[in-house]
Amino acid sequence: MNTRVASIAAIPATMLLLTACGGGDGDDGGAVTLEFQSLSDQPAAIEATEQIVESWNQDHPDVQVEIVPAGWDGVYDKLITQFNGGAAPDIIHYEAAGIVPFAVDGYLADLSDLMSDAMRVDIPSGILDSVTVDGQVVAYPTELQSYVVFANRGLLEDAGVRVPEGETMTWEELREISQATTSGDQYGLGWGLSSPTAAFMSMAPAFGGTFFDGAGSDAGLIMEEGEMALPELVGEMAHDDESVQPVSLTQAGSDVLASFYAEDIAMTVQGSFQAANIEADAPEGLDWVVLPPLEGPAGPWQAANPQTLSVNVDSEHIEESAEFLEYFASTDNLAELNEADALIPATESAREIMGTSLAEEPGWEAILESADHLESSPFLFVDAYPQWKDTVATPAYQRFLAEEIDADELREELQTGWDEITQ
Amino acid sequence: MTVRSLVRPAQYAALVCYILFLGFPLLWLLSASLKTSAELNSLTVSLLPREWHFDNYVQALARQGLVRSAWNSLLVALSSTALVILISLPAAYVLARLKGLVRASGIGWILISQVFPVILIILPLFLVLRTIGLTDSLVGLVLVHTTYTLPFALWMLQGYVTGIPVDLEEAGAMDGGGRLEVLRRIVLPLLLPGLVATAMFAFVSSWNEFFFALVLLQSPENYTLPITLKMFIGGEGKVALGPLAAGSVLAAIPSIVFFSLLQKKLTGGLMAGAVKG
Repeated sequence: MNTRVASIAAIPATMLLLTACGGGDGDDGGAVTLEFQSLSDQPAAIEATEQIVESWNQDHPDVQVEIVPAGWDGVYDKLITQFNGGAAPDIIHYEAAGIVPFAVDGYLADLSDLMSDAMRVDIPSGILDSVTVDGQVVAYPTELQSYVVFANRGLLEDAGVRVPEGETMTWEELREISQATTSGDQYGLGWGLSSPTAAFMSMAPAFGGTFFDGAGSDAGLIMEEGEMALPELVGEMAHDDESVQPVSLTQAGSDVLASFYAEDIAMTVQGSFQAANIEADAPEGLDWVVLPPLEGPAGPWQAANPQTLSVNVDSEHIEESAEFLEYFASTDNLAELNEADALIPATESAREIMGTSLAEEPGWEAILESADHLESSPFLFVDAYPQWKDTVATPAYQRFLAEEIDADELREELQTGWDEITQ
Repeated sequence: MTVRSLVRPAQYAALVCYILFLGFPLLWLLSASLKTSAELNSLTVSLLPREWHFDNYVQALARQGLVRSAWNSLLVALSSTALVILISLPAAYVLARLKGLVRASGIGWILISQVFPVILIILPLFLVLRTIGLTDSLVGLVLVHTTYTLPFALWMLQGYVTGIPVDLEEAGAMDGGGRLEVLRRIVLPLLLPGLVATAMFAFVSSWNEFFFALVLLQSPENYTLPITLKMFIGGEGKVALGPLAAGSVLAAIPSIVFFSLLQKKLTGGLMAGAVKG
């Protein structure tokens, strides 16, 4: 019996020893090692990232970069703990909307003097502004998406609609095409608005909507004509014109693509990266195009929320990290990475290269041009925005799109919710 | 045909419906794991794939170190399960059999420990583990899983112990059995179903646990399965649905095997208890 008891007691001890065998720090002979927490998720993008790092490591034996893959899900909580626990990696991959709170709290290094002039000129000012906090550049922007309209050319032509080809198209044109292509069980537009706040925020600049005045904890909410224009337009298209597929308003963006492939809808508003998925998954013979960027009364503007690479302010190797970022964001590397990820490069030069390499691919010319109209947006810099978005704005917009409340009630709910959160 | 003769078929029909209700998500997962991306993004829905697309499994196995993560998860889950059972067994017996302040404070501690949200304790926990060098370590994760699972396991097990009549132990003592003899020959066999159920709970809790592993583990070679599977869900709303489904099917296999092995003990133990009781 004693032997048996001892054996049972030994099981967890043995297992703990086994588990202890995992992991361990490597020793690379005195070279500086930079930890790069990467969120790359697509196989091609992972490979592109690995190639960039491998090439850097070969050329820089004294400064080695080690990729630490991580997932997007939960990364904010992970970073909070890492920063507070003093265990954050040297280089942090995230997005502009996510890094601002960390920059405000002083966890990110100021890269203003470390970013080369050539790089600074190569990044459009609107995009550079989105990673500039209190006058400090806190990240290298790398990859972007814009919202674009994918259209079924055949369905548009069958409805007698000329496919728009100009530099931009107006929202009013979109509404007219949507009406013209709606008939029977077929709707003109499908738009996955189950989480509508991000889309409304990103596209509000076309209507002059800014939503916020000021930054940080001093920001105030603005709910005027420009902020209300897009939800009201979508509401009218859905409920007055009945040209928006009702179910799509309750779906995620990618869920709507099935209706697009089945030709139940003539057009769909999607993130530009869906071009690669549509190219891969659309039925053979589906003739699709990307329509020109949507223009509102204030222009074709959209908010930029680029993916970013930042440096941990507590890193012992801030300069080396910035040098690596400069290399990572160089023209060829950024073009290769964005092509692999089906996203838009944050630099003009990389976008030019992609324009050449993807010239024959459907939709990419319009997608890359849409990046000309991306600008920074106040919501990126507002402390209470994430809470307001999740607890107030998204439910209120959902209720509005479901016709449970009208535009005035929507405006009131958004404002009251903001006041409750911030007071 | 009497009403009574319809009862049994109706019971079977209800059982079939219930099994379908429980099994359908798994069947759908299996089906999704064998479909192409185009079929997954089609409005034509069918349980059987139009063409069997095993490439999802190839992609799932090739990406993100799925097998290594599964091994890590297995080690962590088995270790924490063993520790939970070793600690909770004697503790549950004491809690169930003792009266007075010790029992009351023990039960109070169990209940209080359940009310703290994970997000509240993660930072202090991280700092404590960092001080003793157990962040980014599977040993650290085993200790965290054990600590986190222990209160509820203790609560479960003390309920099973309470269900065993003290009279049986007294009868054993009257027949000349010593304290340990009574525990081993009478209490333990009767407690077996409770132990198995508690072990299953501890195993599944650890196997599925995401947040602690996400925050505590830094090195890819230490990642557990939930972390690796989540990495199939990307930014900008991108999801590699086929490989994710394939990875999830593979991830379910150890749990199914573990449950298959233990479920006989679960029912066997119940029967043993009934006869001896």
